[in-house]
Amino acid sequence: MNFFESQDAARRRTLGLVLLFGAAVVGTVLGVQAVVALILLANRDLPRHGQGHAPDTTLVFVATGLAVLAVVVGGSLYKSAQLRRGGRALAEQLGGVHLHGGNADEDGRRLLNVVEEMALASGLPVPDVYVLPDEQGVNAFAAGFTTGDAVLGITAGAVRLLDREQLQGVVAHEFSHILNGDMSLNLRLIGWVHGLLVIGLLGQIILRSLRYARGGGKKGGGLALIVAIGLALLVLGFVGMFFANLIKAAVSRQREYLADAAAVQFTRNPGGLAGALKRIGSLAGGGQLRAPAAALVSHMLLAESRGDWFASHPPLEERIRRLEPGWDGRYPPLPTRARPAPPPSAGPDTEEE
Amino acid sequence: MIALQVAIVALVLVVAWAVAIWNRLVTLRNRYANAFAQIDVQLKRRYDLIPNLVETAKGYLAHERETLQAVIAARGAALDSLRAAAAAPGTAAAMQGLAGAESALGAALGRVFALAERYPELKADVQMRRLAEELTSTENRVAFARQHYNDAATEYNTARQVFPASLLAGAFGHGTPAALLSYEPGIAAAPVLGLAT
Repeated sequence: MNFFESQDAARRRTLGLVLLFGAAVVGTVLGVQAVVALILLANRDLPRHGQGHAPDTTLVFVATGLAVLAVVVGGSLYKSAQLRRGGRALAEQLGGVHLHGGNADEDGRRLLNVVEEMALASGLPVPDVYVLPDEQGVNAFAAGFTTGDAVLGITAGAVRLLDREQLQGVVAHEFSHILNGDMSLNLRLIGWVHGLLVIGLLGQIILRSLRYARGGGKKGGGLALIVAIGLALLVLGFVGMFFANLIKAAVSRQREYLADAAAVQFTRNPGGLAGALKRIGSLAGGGQLRAPAAALVSHMLLAESRGDWFASHPPLEERIRRLEPGWDGRYPPLPTRARPAPPPSAGPDTEEE
Repeated sequence: MIALQVAIVALVLVVAWAVAIWNRLVTLRNRYANAFAQIDVQLKRRYDLIPNLVETAKGYLAHERETLQAVIAARGAALDSLRAAAAAPGTAAAMQGLAGAESALGAALGRVFALAERYPELKADVQMRRLAEELTSTENRVAFARQHYNDAATEYNTARQVFPASLLAGAFGHGTPAALLSYEPGIAAAPVLGLAT
């Protein structure tokens, strides 16, 4: 694998996809604006309360455009603010326990050492490390929105089942997510998708509210007008959201390839990360997380089990093949040397941070 | 009038472009300088670990005093070379001396760990296992710090060689490329540590 070229390619594809994403958002906004404005203009001959003169065409377009934009931007900012939490808070919500020199056992020390090695290789500050003691699958995540605030989370299964080189590959993959700002990129995309969702929801609310308004003294034309606007918002909002989600998933998959390539740059050892991915493939539970809050970090995980168009990660086989072109497609069995489950190295009583 | 306005806009653009190049070159140079400092830090960390290792092994390897003394001597020599290299960084003689001393130290350490294979109690010693892990990690850190230095130096060299930055690099005081560290077995290669997994 040529890791510099692979990284450049993934960055280029990300840029293309982000532009496409922007086009989807702008297209939805313009579409909603055009439809709503046309509906309003087509109905301007209807009798209305107050003065009878019809509104100016330009004014209608500008006003609806601003209104739609305000809804999308507002929805996006709201969602971003909701999700913008420090990495530590997120790691603790997943049940992570802060691992440090004071509470680390032999495996823990090895993990902390590997993290420091990868910090040197990537030139980043050493992040706080959180172990998820109840998770026996092999997985890891990075969280936090700046390099200073970033934390690295890893399952107890990964600490126990991976050897030193595999652990290096996994940790290097997560360092790449931190270095490339993938957490804040994803946060922004989630925010914009939510903005489009709000348009659809608005349409839904309008249509639903008609049920109660039906008995009122509205004229037939007015009612049809509101139904048309509600339907337009509902359909365009959800169609826009569908495509935005599709593109968002594609962006996320490119960032995974980028992180895999960067992990090879940091470790100069494709076998480490490939071995860790194979280990995930050979485990019955794979990399699944059991914590209910796991969906919050799905895009930042090392691996994910689903494989459809909305998957945030590329298929495991494809990733391994990119790292090891000659792979025979077989997952090695778990090593017999696998140590017994470690004692709870970091019980809640030792956690006094 | 219009010609003057165009000239002013063009001037502002050129100045902004030059400032951007200046800042990028300074940033990249500081980054690789810092990367170099890290190598030094990690080498010292390694020298600090070795006396502990010898102290721990002494109890089990009473009959192997020569091997242990060789490690201590090699460590002293390497530390002296590092001081000499730090006093005159970049000089070929100092760097070569350091590389030689490092490879001697690596060989001496390798012999200790080969010996340890024959002493099961030593291999099982908790303190020894911990030190072996620390030494493995330190060897890795030295290697990764060197690798990061080379990555950073390459990025700096590329930034000052690409057009149009190449037009200004010399005038901005970035006339010489950063030297890459070549592979020196003594520093980069970790001895095989049978104890660490």
